[in-house]
Amino acid sequence: MALFSRKDRKTVPGADEALGLFLFDAVNDALAAERALIAGGYDVSLVAPPPHLRAGCDLSVALPRVEHIGAERVLADAGVHVRDWIADAEGTAQVCDLVTTVDFGEWLMVRAGNMKIVVEKATGMIVNTSGGGCPDIPYLNLALVGKRIDEVPRPKELGYTLCGLMLDRAYVEVCSLLGGAEGGAA
Amino acid sequence: MTLLVIATYPVVDGPVLEGPVTIEPDGGIAIGGTRVPSSQGTSAMLGAAAQVAAHLGTAPPHALVAGDIGRGDGTRHVYERLLDAVGRISPSVVAFHYMQPVMALMRKAVDGLAEAAPDTLLVADAGGMYAAKAAGLASRFELMTPDVGEVGFLADPAVTHPAYVSHYLFGNEGFDPVRLAASAHQTGGAARVLLIKGVRDHIALDGEIAEVVDEPCVPELEAIGGTGDTVAGLASAFLAAGFPTVDAARCACLANREAGRVMGATPAMHARDLVATLPGVLADNLCRWGGACVV
Repeated sequence: MALFSRKDRKTVPGADEALGLFLFDAVNDALAAERALIAGGYDVSLVAPPPHLRAGCDLSVALPRVEHIGAERVLADAGVHVRDWIADAEGTAQVCDLVTTVDFGEWLMVRAGNMKIVVEKATGMIVNTSGGGCPDIPYLNLALVGKRIDEVPRPKELGYTLCGLMLDRAYVEVCSLLGGAEGGAA
Repeated sequence: MTLLVIATYPVVDGPVLEGPVTIEPDGGIAIGGTRVPSSQGTSAMLGAAAQVAAHLGTAPPHALVAGDIGRGDGTRHVYERLLDAVGRISPSVVAFHYMQPVMALMRKAVDGLAEAAPDTLLVADAGGMYAAKAAGLASRFELMTPDVGEVGFLADPAVTHPAYVSHYLFGNEGFDPVRLAASAHQTGGAARVLLIKGVRDHIALDGEIAEVVDEPCVPELEAIGGTGDTVAGLASAFLAAGFPTVDAARCACLANREAGRVMGATPAMHARDLVATLPGVLADNLCRWGGACVV
């Protein structure tokens, strides 16, 4: 086992510890950081930066301050570009986790925040995606519609924005509800 | 009497395209003669706007778009060219649509438009609306077209993207568009007119509900990607044709719903199906809805 391994860490960040934030130039950098840090055994959460640090479509990664240096090394090794670290997470906001469903008979629609995905129940075919307003959403629409849920990459692997992240949450939920495996590239 | 739409299209490194919008014989959308992919988003918005212009005999919508798949590159390209296009076209309406919501770029654009074209009416939907609200510029807009998942974002002064909106504002249990429209207006998060798209469409003027449109009721439209975009395109085109803003919003809601009914909407249909249905819907109903048969 590696020295200072984080693999068995179970606590939720923010429960009792002072948090800091990694800031990024792009949402997909934050998503890549989340993946790398989780793979490295860190417990992290995706949050909105404090208001004075927001540019528009922003996502940051929160984790305990004491883990800053090790986590930064993980991100450097993974080639994830970090814009900045701030040792104060006050003023952050959580990404909306509200997920709802609408049953249209042959089709199931799942909403996650401002995004929606519609799947044909019998085949697992994605027949529509909708909502959102960031430019990766029409791109994801073209990439996903007409394919089965088990043969497409997860939206957060293809997308770049918060809308793409919310569509990913809808996708994961519909996979769970219809009993299908999540996409092969995830 | 021209609508200028500034937006993006979903092609990696796609070049800047500018020109009149046309609908090809197969239903595809072309900008200055170059086709863009048919999907939800701006192609649906442009298709609906082009159908209104064709019906009314007004100038077709003019689009300024660039390829962008969420990295913001195309968004920056079109913002750079916006004022030049406005100077050449002198649009009566500028509509911001699918764009990376970057507050700084929107601030610069709105300030520039206030100097170069102070009488131009501004419309925002999708990422253009997110940027305008997040930058504190919503009240400089004539019309915004949020859905039930977005009006809470406009009403919440603390957030800069709908992904951070609190549960209680998110269009589900206890959802109250009347209260949210008023709150958005009071906190500077709303355009003068809001068209809130939902099972019942609410049109708010200065924070108070002016119209409610709920017939025909076609729940399947919510599942079809791009049917909110077609509402935005319809309303923008009616506004550019000279309709008063509330009338433009009401006619857009009615036309979208009626098109959904006529086409027998199912969750597996697409926005292009709705766009293809619009000519007959407008021919059969617009005189009655809006009092305008031609302009």
